[in-house]
Formats: sequence, C-alpha cells, structure tokens
Amino acid sequence: MIKITNLEKFYRTEEVETIALNKLSMHVDTGEFVAIMGPSGCGKSTLLNILGMLDDPDEGSYVFNDIEVAHFTERKRADLRKHNIGFVFQSFNLIDELTVFENVELPLIYTGVPSAERVKRVEEVLDKMQIMHRRNHYPQQLSGGQQQRVAIARAVVNKPKLILADEPTGNLDSSNGNDVMELLTDLNEQGTTIIMVTHSEHDARYSHRIIRLLDGQTVMENIMI
Amino acid sequence: MIKNYFKIAFRNLWRHKSFSLINIIGLAVGMTACFLIFMYVRFELSYDKFNENFDHVYRLNTDIKSPNEVLHWGSASAPMGPALKADYPQVKEFARVFGYSYLIESNNHKFQENNISFADPAIFKIFTLPFVQGNPATALNAPFSIVMTETSAKKYFGNGNAIGKSVLLDGKIPATITGVMKDVPDNSHISFDMLISESTMEKKKMIDPTEWGNFSNYTYLLLDKSADVNKLQAQLPAFLIKHISEDKRRKGYNYDLFLGPLSGVYMDAVRGAPVNGSISNVYIFSVVAIFILVIACINFINLTTARASERAKEVGIRKVIGAAKSQLTKQFLGESIIICIISFLFAVLLSLLFLPMFNQLSGKTISDNVFSHGYILILFFTAIAIGFIAGIYPALVLTSFSITSVLKGRFSNSVKGIVLRRGLVVVQFTVSIVLIVGTIVVYNQLNYMRNQSLGFNKDQMMVLDFSGDSAVETRAESIKYELKQIPGVLSASASSSTPGNGNPIAYTQVEGKSGAMESLNANLYDVDYDFIPQYGIQVLAGRTFSTDYPTDSTKSFVINEATLQNLGYTSPNQAIGKHFLQWGRDGKIIGVIKNFHFASLQQTIKPLALRINPHNTNVFTVKIAGGNIPATIASIQNKWKSLVPERPFSYTFLDENFNKQYKGEETFGMLFLYFAVLAIFISCLGLLGLASYSTLQRTREIGIRKVLGASVPVIVNMLSKEFLQLVLIAALIAFPLAWWGMHTWLQDFAYQINIGWWIFVVAGLLAFMIAITTVSFQAIRAALANPVKSLRSE
Repeated sequence: MIKITNLEKFYRTEEVETIALNKLSMHVDTGEFVAIMGPSGCGKSTLLNILGMLDDPDEGSYVFNDIEVAHFTERKRADLRKHNIGFVFQSFNLIDELTVFENVELPLIYTGVPSAERVKRVEEVLDKMQIMHRRNHYPQQLSGGQQQRVAIARAVVNKPKLILADEPTGNLDSSNGNDVMELLTDLNEQGTTIIMVTHSEHDARYSHRIIRLLDGQTVMENIMI
Repeated sequence: MIKNYFKIAFRNLWRHKSFSLINIIGLAVGMTACFLIFMYVRFELSYDKFNENFDHVYRLNTDIKSPNEVLHWGSASAPMGPALKADYPQVKEFARVFGYSYLIESNNHKFQENNISFADPAIFKIFTLPFVQGNPATALNAPFSIVMTETSAKKYFGNGNAIGKSVLLDGKIPATITGVMKDVPDNSHISFDMLISESTMEKKKMIDPTEWGNFSNYTYLLLDKSADVNKLQAQLPAFLIKHISEDKRRKGYNYDLFLGPLSGVYMDAVRGAPVNGSISNVYIFSVVAIFILVIACINFINLTTARASERAKEVGIRKVIGAAKSQLTKQFLGESIIICIISFLFAVLLSLLFLPMFNQLSGKTISDNVFSHGYILILFFTAIAIGFIAGIYPALVLTSFSITSVLKGRFSNSVKGIVLRRGLVVVQFTVSIVLIVGTIVVYNQLNYMRNQSLGFNKDQMMVLDFSGDSAVETRAESIKYELKQIPGVLSASASSSTPGNGNPIAYTQVEGKSGAMESLNANLYDVDYDFIPQYGIQVLAGRTFSTDYPTDSTKSFVINEATLQNLGYTSPNQAIGKHFLQWGRDGKIIGVIKNFHFASLQQTIKPLALRINPHNTNVFTVKIAGGNIPATIASIQNKWKSLVPERPFSYTFLDENFNKQYKGEETFGMLFLYFAVLAIFISCLGLLGLASYSTLQRTREIGIRKVLGASVPVIVNMLSKEFLQLVLIAALIAFPLAWWGMHTWLQDFAYQINIGWWIFVVAGLLAFMIAITTVSFQAIRAALANPVKSLRSE
C-alpha cells in the first residue's frame, strides 16, 4: 500500500537547517498494523504528516496505492486524503463548536455524502464506538476516553483504507488507553491498515511490526509474533 | 453543508459575544449612516424627475454682460419666452414664472402668502402638476385666475369645492379660483402654494411684456422631442440680434442666452433656482458614507484576523478531515455574510428610528418610509456585498494556514497581518481626524459669519413686513411717526429690502473718470431718509439723503465703495457729483457709503446704489431699546393693529433674518458633526476590540513583567503606546488632507476664516484622548490583574 524511498525533509529557519527525515525508506502492506517508535525529535511526526499527505517531502518518492504522490498539489493531496485516510490524534482535535454527531458527520459532508446516508453511517459508527448516548453532547462535556472514541469514530466513518494514529493513548489513562487500542485492533482485523506513532512499548505490542527511528533514519525493525 | 456552515457560524458568534457585538454594532451603525445618506443622495438626485417631460424641458438662462463683469443668471425677461415660441417651431411651449407675495383674503380668512407665483397657462403642459379640481388647459388663461395647491385650498375653503370661489389680493384685487392641484412634490425645484395667471400682471401693468432688459422671471421651454438642442442653442445669438436693436445693444442690452436642461437646474450653484441644491454636498456626503462604511468593514477585518489564531485549530482539523480550501473559504465568507445580515436587520431598525430625525435635520422629507422604493432591497444586497468584501481577506488568511504547524500549536499571528491591522487602524483614525477637523472648520466659519461685523447695526432691529402694500406705503411717514411714539422704539425707517433678503439688480450707467458713461450692474435699495442713519451705515464722502434738498427724492444716489472700485475711482470724493442713470432715474451721486454686507458672506460685496423711493418699499425697520423687549413688541403689535388693521402683524429680527442665509451651512455642519461622531465611535469600537485582544494575548507577558517588578503605570503605558502611535501617524496623514479638503470647501465663501494651527491641535488632541480612554481602559484592567492567576492559567 505504501512505499517510500529515500525520503528527505528539512526544516529551515533563518540560521539553522534541521534534517527531519534523512533518506528514509520503508514500506507498509495493506492490512498491516505498524507502530513507529523513537525518541522525541527523531522525525516520527514528520513522517506521519507526510504519510498522511498533510505535508510534502523535499526529496524522495512516496507511492500510495501505486500512485506517486510526493509532489502532488495540495488540492490533489486533499482529495486523495479525504477518501483514503483517517486520522487519530493525541489531543483528539475535535471541533469544540460542534456536537459529537456533527463532528463525526463532518468528513461525510466534505466527501459529499447525501444527508440521509450520513445519518445512517454516523449512527452506525457511534453505535460501534458505544457513544451513541452522547451524540448531542459537545466535546468539552465528555471524558478523554470518550473524546478519543469520537475522534476514532470520525476517522473511520468514511471507511478509510488507512488510519494514521499519532500517540492515540498519550492523553488517556491506562484503562481508557487499552480500550482505544482494542478498538484499533478490531479495525485492523476488519481490514484497515494502521500506522501508529507511539512512545509506549505497551501500545506498540498491539502492532505487527515496529519501526524504530533515530535522527530521521530507520534504525531497527521488529516483527511481532 | 450550508446548514453546517450556519450552525457553526451562529455558535461562533454566540461564543464570542463581545467580538460579535463590536462587529455588529459597528456595521449596523455604519450601514444606518450609509443608508440614510443614500436616501438623501437619491432624493437630491431625484429632483424634477417626476416631470414626464423631464428630458425635454429647458430653462432659459442669461449671461448679462457689462464691461467689468458678466452676471450668470437663471432668469430671463418677459418677451423672450413668447418670442422664442413664435420664432422656432421646435419650442412647443413656454411658461414664465414670477415669484410674488400677496395678502390673500377669503371670507374671514386672511393670510400673508409669500410663496405665490405668476405663471403662464402652459406651466401645466411643461411640468407634471396634476389637478384635483378644474381644467389645467384653461385654468390660467384669464386674468385674475388662481390655481391653489390642495393644502392651500383646504386652508381657505375647507374640504369643499374651491372652484369659482373668489378671494381678495392685498385687500383690493378680486380673483377667482379656477383650479386645485396636488401639492408640488418636495423634490421639485419650483415650488409654490398657488399660481396666479400671468395675464393678471399685464392687466395690472406690473410688467412690461415688451421690455427685453428686465430679467424678472424664470422662463421654461418645452422642446419638441425630436428637437436638436445644440442647433437651437446656436441660433440664440441671432435671435437676440433680431429682437434687440443695434442702438439698444450699444446702450447695454448685451446678453447671451443658454438653454439649461431641467436636469441641471436644481444643482445649478451659479445661476441658482427657487429651490437650490448643492452637488458638492451630495459628493461630500457620499464620500463620508463610504468612509463610515469602510471604517466599519475595517473593524470586521481587523477583529477577525486578530482572532485568527483562535480559529486556526478548527481550520487545521477541518483540513485534515478533508475540507478543501474553497469549502473553508465559503464557510468563513458565510460567517461574515451572516454578521452583515444581522447588522442589516439592526440597521433597518435604526433607520426607522432615525429617519424622522434625519428628515427634520435636512429640512425636507427625504423619505417617509424606509421600505419604499425598494431601498431596503438595495441595502440588503449591499450588506451581503459588504459581507463578501470584508470577509474575503480574513477568509483567505484563515484558510491559508499550514495544517502541520497549526495542529502542532505552532501558530502565531503573522507579522504581515499585524502590519495590515495597524495600517487599517491608521486609515480609520485618519478618516476620523479629517472629519473632526472638518467639523471644527465648518463651525468656525459659521461662527465667523454670524459674528463678523456687517457694516450696519443689526441688533434689536425689528423688521415689519407689509409686502409693498401701496395702502401702507402711502401712509408710511405717519405710521413711522406713530411707531416712534411707543416708548422703547428708538427709530423707524422704510426700505425695499433688508440685508440678507435679496434685492433687485439694476442696469446702471455712471459717469466714469474719463467723463464718458460706463455701464455696470448695481444692486438697488429703495429707501427713505431715515434708512442710512438708522442702520448706522458710515458715510465716507459727500452726504446722505436729506429733506433739505428737494431733488434728493428724484435725482440723488448714494453708492457704496464697491461701486467706486468698479468704476476705477481711487477716492470717494472723486465720485461726488458724477452723473448716474438707473432704471429711468437720471441724477447725480451725492454720497459714498462704506461697504456693508447686504448679502451673505459667501459673496464679496457688490456695487450698490441707494435712492429715495417711498413708492417701492416693502418693510419697516424698527430699532427698539434693549429693556423690556416683549412689552415693546406687544405695544408695536397693538399700534400696528390700529394703524394697519387690514394687514397681519408679521415681524422678524434683522440679525436672525440675516443668519437665515446660513441655514444650509448650519445643516451641513450639523450633519458633518453627527457623521464625525459616528466615524470616531466606530473606529473606537474597533480599537477597543483590538486592544482587548492584544492584551488578552499578552496576559502571560504582563504576568511575568509584574512578577519581575513592573508597576501598573509602566504596563498601561506599554500596552497603550502601540495604539497611540497609530493615532499619531493617522494625525500626521490626516492634517494635510483635512487642510486641503477644508481649504477647498472654504473657497465657496468670499469671507473666510484662516484654518489656524490650533484647529489641528484640537482635533489631534481630541482623537488622541478618545483613543487613550478606549485603550487604557483595557490596559488598566490587564495591568491590575493578579499575575499569579494569569501565569497559572498557562
């Protein structure tokens, strides 16, 4: 599904140039659950942003589903993204002014799903995440675990092929964290590819494979059994 | 999708109530001001358009040429209209209009009517003046026929039929009502309460229908729809040569005629009109309206972009989820349009509330209903357009955020954005300061004109109007004598006009320095022996009129300095005894008086001749003592009732009368003041919003500074400084602009104030103080806050 080759990304300020990704190559197959680990500043988030097409690389190739996307325009990337990729963040990133239902509905609106179909699909996914009873609440009225479930519901409502999770349990206690990891595992078992950035060895154990980064390069890959 | 936009827009507005309020109040007030001005401008530009023949009606204008000057008049002489119709088939109709006044009596009702016109029958073919009773085709054919407006007819005859009823003009001339027409619309440059047939004037020998040199009426021509106006215009010089003999032309009958389209008459500042508008006022207020709206839009742009960081997260999330840039742009544009629509609703309410006041202020019914003429629709679409214009920049800024930096929380207001906001604040205050300077200058000029020494006594001078009633004229001396018997009455005189009330201008010939007769156009005052001493007009050379010289009543003239200068005399004494010919009177100059202002200070003092003529007076001027004025007036009224029972007691005061000329300027000044206040109010609203936002962002910084030992004044100073600098820059830009603008405005006044440096100091200080109050309020609050709180909250 994903194949990146010699990917490079620099951050420049007026005086300093920082290398975030240094000729990084890796691949992820369809249906895999991959964890990316590494110390702060190793380039994990940069990699995830590029994989999620939120950012573009300076050098190298990124092939997504047999399409070279490394130098796509923002518009094209956005188009590809909204149909194929769902995001889960550490800080949930729900929109405060919208209710649970409306937050989950939003991606469907942007992909032009008709209203009746939207209601059906949102209800379906809220049910699955067991937060149906909170559908008319605002994010601030929910616990962290509930918020993250809403965020996951929002990420999967469009039935993406790939979910990118950036420390999804980072702001949660261990019990809520485990719930979230179970949810992701279920999604993976139903066929969704998952790439997750994490600091937690515990969480990483849910994955099939761990890619360890240091200074923008792959230093080790562990296959989990 | 749209539903979603609306939802989040409303929730956003609600969550940030104070920002929404500032935006909505600013925009609503701006729109209201704009809307009222728009209606005013529309009204001013609508003058005379109700006439079906609007495009084919022309006024006959005249340039009267004398060796030293050309007078541009809107009037014509009596034979011109009929001769044009006779000579040129494309002139289908003509109507002459002569303004007049009569005391009109019917049964027991008696009113002094000062808004009467004599008119030719074709006036109803030229202008669209529908009848309620009677036949417009014949109503003004016969002499002594009167057509009244509905309001006047009701005043005299109630609701019944008025046709065939008779009235008495000045208590002695019987006349018959032959028609009742609808009231003349407010937006007509000709205006009257009643029309009397022109043939009445000829019958009463009030005009000489063959006199080409007496420009006593406005002449309107209805041209054929296919007529070529330029061609007709080109034939007018030949027309004059045909009708005015070579000999007469040499004697000063030297004119040019022009066809002035009806569309330009109302705004004709040079030739004037019975009801006169000002195109420059229309321009000035249009610009002011746009400025006020721009100021309100700037608030919106500034506050929205200043708040951008708050919304950056939302933008980022939406983008991640799949929103295209265009979808987000639409969302933010939608929000600004919603704000504008809410403001529009408030603006409609405010307009409803202020329209009556605005009508009163402008002295006419600009519109009696906000909802008429589809005005409201225009405002609505303007509101949406404003939403679009003001919203597009913030929308582009908000949607251009890079997702990755926004989601990492690494977002800060861009330097470019801050510079732009500061620039826009400078624009707001520049406009405000220009308006403040403008207001001060307008009021100063008004004050100057009111208090300028006019060259005559204007205090405690009562003017009693008898409208030239010959029954009063013949008894003038005895009436004056009786009035002077009243304790408190110091003196009395009779004259044809009083300063500020207009007077005839006469073709005049005077013996020049070379001994030859030179022509000029001189203003004319018919006075009695008491006029010059009573008015305290200073005599520079020769003497004033005296009963000791029998020829004074038939052969003597007193002229003013301006006449002297016009003729090229260097000393007043040189003019004494010179030959003087004017309107049939042949005599000599016996005295030269110091210039006095017989017209508004907008004009330079023109040549003026005074002569004794008790048979052409209209008013008494009565000088009263300063003591018990109401009692004196009451005594005068009693005396008047016994002396002149047939005429109503109608009086004014000379100074008030004179100052009435500045009514237009006073209204202008008042409107200017209101709009300046509005502009500064909206600007300050914006400043308040920006200041509170900027303090909010710096809460942590303020906390740290306080912990490190900064005092409250130091912090207030720090927070206020950045905004006050902007006001300072605005002042520097505004001063030359304001100077230039007001200097141009003052050019309309022959006697004008100097725009002193103090005006700029006052305006600058005023703006500065208002800004300080606005900003420091926020700053003090922030500075007084407990730093522990602000630091913990981070």
